[in-house]
Amino acid sequence: MNRRKVFIIITAAIMLVSAAWCAYLMLRPAGENIIISQDGKELYRIDITRTPDRNIEVEYEGRKNIIEIKDGEVRMQHADCPDHICIETGRLRPDTPIVCLPNRLVIEYENSTVDGTAR
Amino acid sequence: MDVKRLTKLGLLTCLALIIFIIELRIPDIVPIPGVKLGLANIVTVYCIYTFTPAETAMMLFSRILLGALFSGNLMALWYSIAGGVLCFAGMVLLRRIADEKNIWFLSVIGAVLHNIGQITVAMIVLKSKTVIGYLPFLLISGCIAGLFTGISAQLITKRLNKN
Repeated sequence: MNRRKVFIIITAAIMLVSAAWCAYLMLRPAGENIIISQDGKELYRIDITRTPDRNIEVEYEGRKNIIEIKDGEVRMQHADCPDHICIETGRLRPDTPIVCLPNRLVIEYENSTVDGTAR
Repeated sequence: MDVKRLTKLGLLTCLALIIFIIELRIPDIVPIPGVKLGLANIVTVYCIYTFTPAETAMMLFSRILLGALFSGNLMALWYSIAGGVLCFAGMVLLRRIADEKNIWFLSVIGAVLHNIGQITVAMIVLKSKTVIGYLPFLLISGCIAGLFTGISAQLITKRLNKN
């Protein structure tokens, strides 16, 4: 077997494993609780199926984030950061958290941590 | 290092910076942080096959530092450096195995290592394990982007090093 074939197989293997991992994350059922944490510390734990529509304000070093909870869906409404990636992420899905890197903010479903799935 | 090589490296740094800054203007296709083409990597891959590892490192890190300054996003500097160091180390090692017909593979592995480096820094900065959920999405996009830039780099290296 020549090198090129080995390289193609390795590339295909990385893609397949990642695709399987993606599928696993996306097919996992969403929990009811979401966790909002900053700098590794948990700030809020909210049952979004029961909580009324509300906005949550979080501050970090003078910069502000506003998280919107509406009809059981969560999204970042406002962020004082240069890139606004967290806002573009849209609503919170069970597979990936909403992350605001400059303000160290993470919004995630409770069961989406590695520990949670093992339990 | 003679003046000719130094000039060439300076020009390549400049070229990589221009590519990097133009790429920033391309709107994001997928709303996942970290997904991008990484066109500036074409220059890095070309350098690995043309210059010594030390010379390539000089080019790469000047580009990362100046790129972060020009784009005004110093927060992204740490992610770029972590990704850059891992990507560079992996590509230098692979250079011994992959000949000039398999440059594309070097680029794919470089992209994958870059993504792993970025996510590792994100996990440390955010003190959150959940961020690893982004990794599989980044790996798929990294493989595709790495393949594309790798094939480009392979064509360029082949033609430029002919004479």
